[in-house]
Amino acid sequence: MFRKKAIAVAVAAAFGAGIFIAPSQAADKEILVWADETRGPNLVKTLAKKSDWVPGHTIKVVSFSSYDALKDALDKASGTTGPDVFVAGNDWVPALAKSGKLAPVVLTAQQKGQFTPGQLFDLSYGGKLYGVPVDVNNVGMIYNTKMVKTAPKSYGEMVKFYLDNKKKLGLKAGLCIAGGGMSWGGLSGFSALGADPYLMNADGTVNYNKSFDPAVFAKNVSTYLLDKNGKSNGFYPATDTGCMDNYLAGKVPFAVVGNWHWRKFAEAGFQMNIMPVPGVKAGTYGKMFGSVSGAFLTSYAEAHGVAVGAKSLLTTFFASTAGQVLYQAEEGRPPADKGAQKSQLVLPGQKAMGVAAGMSSIPQIGAFLNTNAGGANYWDSAPAYWTAVLVDGKNPLAEAKKLAAIWKANVAAGKADL
Amino acid sequence: MSGIFRGNFALVVKIVILAGVTAILSLLAQSAFARGEIAIGSFLVISIVALNFTYLTKVSIPLKFFVPGVLLFIAFVIGPIIFTVVMSTFNYKTGNYISKEAAIEQVLIRGVEPDANQTTFDVVAGKASDGKDAILVSDVANQKFFLSTQDNLSTLDANEVVVNEYGVATTAPNFVATSLEDLALDDSYAKIRYKFSDGYYIVIEAQGVGAVFRQALTYDEKTDTMRNIQSGEVYVDNGRGNFALEGSPDSVLTPGWRAPIWFENYTKLVTDSRVRTPLIKVFIWTVIFASLTVLSTFAFGLLLAIALNRRMRGRRVYRSILILPYAMPSIMSILIWGGMFDSQFGAINNLLNTDIAWFSNPTYARAAVLLVNLWLGFPYFYLICSGSLQAIPSELLEAAAIDGANPRQVFRQITLPLLLQILSPLLIASFAFNFNNFNLIYLLTGGGPRDTLDGELAGATDILISYTYQIAFGTNILDFGLASAISVLIFFLVASISFYGIRKSKVMETFG
Repeated sequence: MFRKKAIAVAVAAAFGAGIFIAPSQAADKEILVWADETRGPNLVKTLAKKSDWVPGHTIKVVSFSSYDALKDALDKASGTTGPDVFVAGNDWVPALAKSGKLAPVVLTAQQKGQFTPGQLFDLSYGGKLYGVPVDVNNVGMIYNTKMVKTAPKSYGEMVKFYLDNKKKLGLKAGLCIAGGGMSWGGLSGFSALGADPYLMNADGTVNYNKSFDPAVFAKNVSTYLLDKNGKSNGFYPATDTGCMDNYLAGKVPFAVVGNWHWRKFAEAGFQMNIMPVPGVKAGTYGKMFGSVSGAFLTSYAEAHGVAVGAKSLLTTFFASTAGQVLYQAEEGRPPADKGAQKSQLVLPGQKAMGVAAGMSSIPQIGAFLNTNAGGANYWDSAPAYWTAVLVDGKNPLAEAKKLAAIWKANVAAGKADL
Repeated sequence: MSGIFRGNFALVVKIVILAGVTAILSLLAQSAFARGEIAIGSFLVISIVALNFTYLTKVSIPLKFFVPGVLLFIAFVIGPIIFTVVMSTFNYKTGNYISKEAAIEQVLIRGVEPDANQTTFDVVAGKASDGKDAILVSDVANQKFFLSTQDNLSTLDANEVVVNEYGVATTAPNFVATSLEDLALDDSYAKIRYKFSDGYYIVIEAQGVGAVFRQALTYDEKTDTMRNIQSGEVYVDNGRGNFALEGSPDSVLTPGWRAPIWFENYTKLVTDSRVRTPLIKVFIWTVIFASLTVLSTFAFGLLLAIALNRRMRGRRVYRSILILPYAMPSIMSILIWGGMFDSQFGAINNLLNTDIAWFSNPTYARAAVLLVNLWLGFPYFYLICSGSLQAIPSELLEAAAIDGANPRQVFRQITLPLLLQILSPLLIASFAFNFNNFNLIYLLTGGGPRDTLDGELAGATDILISYTYQIAFGTNILDFGLASAISVLIFFLVASISFYGIRKSKVMETFG
């Protein structure tokens, strides 16, 4: 009898324990922020400087091991697991908004005035704004003043320097991509030689009537990047592997770096000579992506009961002058907020990157770059060209024609999605 | 020793473990029901009942051994298979992730429009004198103030309110402000549409901020349509997971939802050349890869087993060295091999004094994949073959030798047939494993090289499972429905091959 009672009591207690322990999501009002491996730790440091960014809420930042890991997690996120806010580039907006993972936000007129219309447009889809601009992302070309005394005026000047000094200085490459990868960071490598994924009009609108000329681009590739036998002359590597180390070791005179990298080079004793990649003609420059990163509101925030808190975090921290100044002191990118840009705390390197972006940048339009309508998206097709021509030794013109066809089809398909 | 498993101590241990498992499962069940996961919650409840019934009664002793395994089998094998099969009949991709109910909710949330000036106000949330949720609204620029509830809007005189240094009203008659900390505890106030003028309302946008909107889209449940109140446009369910504008099927509202399209993902495998062509190519390579892997690992493992089956000096050392690749985590080995094959810095090119782009050329990449898999797989067959060789009766070999058979004949006529009879199930299992050897392909080559500029989605070393992953997660347009259909196809292929192999080798007869 005792035995049966003991069993009954134990099982009932177990049920009780299981039922009455509140599930974890019913705890304090916590706003969950996802970010990549560089932003995450910097956000933790910045947010810790003030306890009441959003009264009545705590803020938890989860850092992912890389930007790709963050994207992967967002793709797999559900209402149960997803964040309330995440920080990422603007080109993720169309796919995530289309899939119902983003929720719209509304800014006051004063808050909107702190940003350019282009920045707000970049974070919008279908006329709705889904996030607030946090910082400007771009690359810049730096050159080693111990080797190169004056800023190069044209692409050919850089190639000549490399070929003349390759053996003497033991150079491993002439120009390489150290920041942003061969697609995002490598746009200037294409653009300087005449290939752009889309062309812009002078008024900042997209020119849908024109696309790049593969014959001109292929001719430039042959002239500047290939030797007499059609093989790579070593000036421009097809991969970004080892670029930063080689530059720091003085084995590469020119490198494209991300605007979050400048401090690393400055600390290594390099003078910050930042400029866009010079074009084939003197005075012209290769375009770079002048994208804006944002803090985005997810549709999960509503389900988690923190939609108001999450929106408040966007405006009181991410989109505020004070928040951006504090955050960018850690992160080191040019802030998007106009007030923060003027702050004394924004360092010369950050400002120089902003100047380079101002000289030659195009908006990063996800609808054109992410679609596979042409057979491949920009991110995959761009490095594939360099592998085909510089590694596999394929015909630069034939491959340029394929590239042009892909990008043209992607722009046509993306136009409908804007 | 056996006394530990009997008596009161055993009973207490049993009750404690069972109570612990019951507590954890009931917590999980409660969470699942709270999140609307009815199927998972129901399964957990059934599991609790089954476990307690099995271990607290003496109905069936065998059941005590089977139940945990059966429950785990249902949860981690049967469940995912059913889910995959169901999802393969859905339009489940970028833009069509969520349920229809969630999509309608989101379309309605987005289906609002601001007033012409995109007006926002400073607001203070609290309670009106009648206890209803209310907001004290400040139009700071014009120094106008309102008190708004869901049903009423009343204008306040400037002298009725107390304003702070920013000109924002903080207190007013018949209104009690609620602190931000208290508001954070219950966000129901933020879901109310507070009355404004001309069909517009005010919603809480952030702490202290309200925005003016009006509803543009409405959902008619009877006709299952969305209607734009302002323009009169009607959006109908297009049967593929979106509301599409009548007469203009390309104009759809976002987000869409997961919608059943039945066998379309399967027919696409046959009719859509962009899917069919790479699928055939990948299937052929998958069969070649799995076959060559089994053949090479078995052959090499057997060769070493025969070589070391004889007495020789240092045999134990050799045997230990040969199983080292098996002892090392395969993920580490694959990554190290990946580095060794690097065209610029890799050890292989340095040793051979070549500049082969191993992972850029399809033939070299395939050779590299097979070589690495041989390295990873031969110790397994070496161990198995060593054991099996010991199991072959020595009388048979001696009899053959007395009859004049040379060693080659003994191997071909006696050793190999007997080994194959013993090892057939393992060879079939190895084939099935390598048919789905995702880790190797993903970590070593990523499925590449693929000619991206020719629009190839499948790479030269992609096998069916890595190709499926590429479709599901490898591009910006994620197509889980199509990937599920290919997964189901793989399931049937592997099951058929395994079943055929087992039938041919008559393995099951030994269990009969």
